Amino acid sequence: LNAASGRVPRQHVRFLPAPGDSGDTGLVAMRVPVLADHPLVRGPRFRRLKIGAGHRLDAKASGVFVLGIGHGNKLLTDLYNCHLTRVYTVGGLFGKATDDFSDTGKLVEKTTFDHVTREKLERILAVIQGTNHKALLMYSNIDMKTQEAYELAVKGLIRPMGKSPPIITGIRCLQFAPPEFQLEVHCLHETQQYLRKIVHEIGLELKSSAVCTQVRRTRDGVFTLDDALLRTQWNLQSIQKAIWDCQLKVKMELEKTLS
Amino acid sequence: ALRGTLRGTLRGTRPPPALRRGLAKAAGPRSVRQLREAEEAAPVFQYAGKAAKRKDRVFVWGFSYSGALGVPSFVRPDAGWKKPRRIQPTPYRLETAEKISSAACGYGFTLLSSSTPDIIKVWGMGLNKDSQLGFQRSRRDRTKGYEYVLEPCPIPLPLEKPQQTRVLQVSCGRAHSLILTDSEGVFTMGNNSYGQCGRKVVEDETYSESHLIHQLKEFDSRVVQVVCGQDHSLFRTKKGAVYACGWGADGQTGLGHYNITSVPTKLRGDIAGVNIIQVSSYGDCCLAVSEEGDVFGWGNSEYLQLASVTETTQVNVPRHLPFKIGKIKEAACGGTGNIVLTEEGNVFVWGYGILGKGPKLIETAVPEMIPPSLFGWSDFNPDVRVAHVRCGLSHFAALTNRGELFVWGKNLRGCLGTGRMEDQYFPWRVTVPGEVVDVACGVDHMVSMVKSFI
Repeated sequence: LNAASGRVPRQHVRFLPAPGDSGDTGLVAMRVPVLADHPLVRGPRFRRLKIGAGHRLDAKASGVFVLGIGHGNKLLTDLYNCHLTRVYTVGGLFGKATDDFSDTGKLVEKTTFDHVTREKLERILAVIQGTNHKALLMYSNIDMKTQEAYELAVKGLIRPMGKSPPIITGIRCLQFAPPEFQLEVHCLHETQQYLRKIVHEIGLELKSSAVCTQVRRTRDGVFTLDDALLRTQWNLQSIQKAIWDCQLKVKMELEKTLS
Repeated sequence: ALRGTLRGTLRGTRPPPALRRGLAKAAGPRSVRQLREAEEAAPVFQYAGKAAKRKDRVFVWGFSYSGALGVPSFVRPDAGWKKPRRIQPTPYRLETAEKISSAACGYGFTLLSSSTPDIIKVWGMGLNKDSQLGFQRSRRDRTKGYEYVLEPCPIPLPLEKPQQTRVLQVSCGRAHSLILTDSEGVFTMGNNSYGQCGRKVVEDETYSESHLIHQLKEFDSRVVQVVCGQDHSLFRTKKGAVYACGWGADGQTGLGHYNITSVPTKLRGDIAGVNIIQVSSYGDCCLAVSEEGDVFGWGNSEYLQLASVTETTQVNVPRHLPFKIGKIKEAACGGTGNIVLTEEGNVFVWGYGILGKGPKLIETAVPEMIPPSLFGWSDFNPDVRVAHVRCGLSHFAALTNRGELFVWGKNLRGCLGTGRMEDQYFPWRVTVPGEVVDVACGVDHMVSMVKSFI
């Protein structure tokens, strides 16, 4: 970063003795670069970088992880206050129950799962969505008796804009091949361990048991997998390009929500 | 030490190993192979087999002091720590002996019926001051009957073939009830001061502790639906005709006059010759839906229920309501508001009261649609549709095809089941642990028939 050409040094007008004529005391106005902006005087432009992290992603999960650099940290706080949803792809396995709800934990119980069908799973998912939708309306702290609450509810814009327990705004089954299954979860204010717990509870509700094998965040607010940089792309040019591409999206989202 | 001195000359010999006990080595972290073996050796439990059937359950909620919820411990606590519960604000499971196929809520009482060939087919609970639940012999005094029945008690019906006849449907009004069977007509019990039971009005008859259950058989064809209004009864036959009897001062009998009728008489007016597929009533207004999707109304119109066709507040002849909202599948009438469901799955409300479109819409004569997004429809779930609509006296209920129950309206004594005591101005989900199959709305309580998830 420091090797890149920095800011163009400022110029100012100084009255310097005229070149060439020796002994002549005339001063000529000349535009010269400010000495204070000289690279040897100033030193390297970046000594430290302030990097902040967006929503947490724990060690066993993978996916989109938003970081802010410098001024971006303030934008991160604003994005947090927008309370946008995040989308996860959660993979699960029927037949086992472990103490930390993932497949690497200590085994608690093994159950049969041949009675589980896609239809039953989708019924349970519909119920989860229903109760979470109710929680969405309840934690949004809007008085339900007003006309504007009704209008927002019709448009589907009621959302908790403050602290709330984790809420799932949408959940559906992407793949079902017993014992494995994959869900797409849209949620708010969640932690990855909560998603693993949901997989465990789905197993319990289906009178079987389930553990979570994979949690992968595919979207965090406005940032999707397409904007994310792979491990091989963690170099300066890609990072700069990614920041440049996302600027417009972030600005529009902030304007829309916080206005 | 002895050994050391004896062998002191030998070099490079290791002292013999110390004696070890028979205990195994220390536990330590198990290797992956050991974990896998332990996992494979663990027993497998089965909680549900492949052919496990979904269980049928009944949930009740609302005002309980009349006994209408069927849980005696709410009214008379049977344990010291229990307190009397005046209102049950959220769904509460009611244990029933048989699978309940039809339920109806009246004004302070409930009837549950099952389509079983057993002798006991109908159970009733709640107010019994007019024998609307039949005669319930008191255990303390064999000559008297109970005025309040606190738990579901069997109602003995005078059937000719008790082990073959099946009860199809029950319906409850203010103080009378109707029971529809498949081959033995309709049985009516309760108050008959206006002829609503279909028999001649007897002057100064005492209706409490009465053993009389009247049977109605003479209709043009088999009766397929019975509906009770507040003090009148409607019968719909297989041929599509509608019969009525009872109180008629608001024209709710639809027979062209405002007197009482004590014999079920066929309705004429705009429904003469029309094949009616559904009738509905709960207060003093009645609606009928025809096969072609038209809706006809008669009765009380003080709350603009029929104001789209007439300015009069009482309509005593069925009138066609020319709404251009699509083919109508189902209609339900409440005390002051009406609700219909169209073939596309849209819900329309009109009338007076909390109609479900926010606190601003209090009355309308023309049906207004409730946006489907309030029933769970969204881009994420585009297949959600409303499957049934029901109406209580001042609240509405809608069932979706996903088995979710939405309620809105006046929350009289907790009848909505939302857990709060406030009125609900737009459809709100009721959390029921199961898929709701049917719901019956009363004045201040509701009963739902639910199938468990698995």
